[in-house]
Amino acid sequence: MSAPKKIALETFNLTKRFGDLTAVDDISFKINEGDIVGILGPNGAGKTSTIRLITGIFQLEKESRVEVYSRDLTNSPKKLKKMFGIVPEISNAYSDYTIWQNLNFSGTIYGLSKEKIKERTNKLLERFELTDKMHAKTKTLSKGLKQRLNLCLALLHEPSILILDEPTSGLDPLSVGIVRNQILDLKKEGKTIIDTTHNMQEAQQVCDRILIMNRGKIIADESPDNLRKKFKPSSTLFFKLERILSVEQKNDLKSKFNVIEEPNNHMRIITDNPLEDISSFNNFVKNHNITISNFNLKETTLEEVFIHIIKNDSQSNRRDSK
Amino acid sequence: MNYESINNIWILTKKNITLYIKKGPVLIFGLMFPFFMVISWILGRSISVGQIFIGIIAMTSFFTATAVSPVILPIETREKSLERILSAPLSLNEILLGITLASTLYSVIITSIIAIIFIILFPAIMSAPFSLFLTFLGILLMGILGSLMGLLLSAKPTDQTSDIMVLMNLIKFPLLFIGGIFIPLKEIPPSVAFVYLISPLTFLTELLRSAVNQSNVVSSEICVLILCIWVVVLFVINYILHRKTMPKRFSETGGSRKMMMMKKQ
Repeated sequence: MSAPKKIALETFNLTKRFGDLTAVDDISFKINEGDIVGILGPNGAGKTSTIRLITGIFQLEKESRVEVYSRDLTNSPKKLKKMFGIVPEISNAYSDYTIWQNLNFSGTIYGLSKEKIKERTNKLLERFELTDKMHAKTKTLSKGLKQRLNLCLALLHEPSILILDEPTSGLDPLSVGIVRNQILDLKKEGKTIIDTTHNMQEAQQVCDRILIMNRGKIIADESPDNLRKKFKPSSTLFFKLERILSVEQKNDLKSKFNVIEEPNNHMRIITDNPLEDISSFNNFVKNHNITISNFNLKETTLEEVFIHIIKNDSQSNRRDSK
Repeated sequence: MNYESINNIWILTKKNITLYIKKGPVLIFGLMFPFFMVISWILGRSISVGQIFIGIIAMTSFFTATAVSPVILPIETREKSLERILSAPLSLNEILLGITLASTLYSVIITSIIAIIFIILFPAIMSAPFSLFLTFLGILLMGILGSLMGLLLSAKPTDQTSDIMVLMNLIKFPLLFIGGIFIPLKEIPPSVAFVYLISPLTFLTELLRSAVNQSNVVSSEICVLILCIWVVVLFVINYILHRKTMPKRFSETGGSRKMMMMKKQ
């Protein structure tokens, strides 16, 4: 039996208010060492505020607490902040500094020696293919290169927990691929990663667990597969009939499956059990001697699950407020 | 304060000096303004060398000290680099002291160079080493005080330097005109002299007056004491205000106001 994983980060009753707005509303969660946890949510859900509370940018309210490897962030903020590496959505490197100057500055404020800064900088610049740009001012870099620099800055001091705030937002597909592969490589290295994102594909590809936030609260906390099973299990079978069905055939089809008719002889079957229904449908087609084309199965995507959960939450909130 | 804190303050100071002293608002309000103010004040008037020395040093010190510190936080808020600093292993105190020290050094170096050139050209105005000590002590205290004053105004959580500079000028000019530069305190009727005591510049000009052996109303010891009190009070107010307003610099960037959130009933 494998030993239980250490808890890298735990939050207790995180709350953030801006006047009469509650951006983060009493949320608590744990993240195990080595896990990649995605925080998903619509704009204004409280994702960035949660990150700012965890990283000490916002002061914690009295009732809130953040523990990093079981140590209270408020008691030793400097020591524990060194365990975080943060990649922001928008580059926050000094625009008038070169890549090298930014890394050097960052290394010194994280207390690294000159030799260590040099060694780590060279390694990271090579890894992120920035060596030939090291003397370019940050303001001259493209968004993709700036994001690679942000990753270098976040990894320079070898943090245990990496926090990514929408790291692929606004990047071209090539840069998205580079950043995503780097995240997967970092997971292999055993880094604990928090990835707040709008990108469902990214969340599905890289995350072990997903927290969905809406209106400052966590409304779902599951693995991507469990989310799909638990919140919106239906898959859809698409096909086209090559000839019109008789009334009996149609009635038989409707009695056996949850069918939705579409224009031009196209049909959809919504199913919670695709394997079983494909087999039954195959029998139905044989028995009735029906010819079909364009048959395909579409599994529920994380995006559909996300929209479903957010809509449900917003509707229940509207009902409660009435 | 331990070695790590001092080191952090120095790292931040070096960063602030290299990145911000060449910014437009710093050059305009820190160098061009005092230069043209001095020129327009001196030209065509018969003013004693001692009086010119006091005016130049007081104006340069005050303008340079209040030029760097107000622009750093708005620029770093706009460029998001403040977020990097706040999430780094640095305390708010270290961040504020890093700004104050950069601004003070800028002011002290420029004002000292002008003072040294002036003393070399007119050695007769300084008769004793103690006068030199008083002059540079005054330059140092005004450098710290002006930097803290600029920093205080930048507590307004804005990302526009112009917002702060307008506010800064609104305060700076009245303090300059009641600071004993253009009319010495001893020539002011006692019934209105209390207005002059509001301006910390009055105590710098009085201190410089005793350094160049001109008659002064407030003794040099009292001037130093009052300037020190100003420094301590400004630092405490700075810490309290910045602690309060720092989160507001980020309150509108996280999307919380873009969407209707939980407006409490």
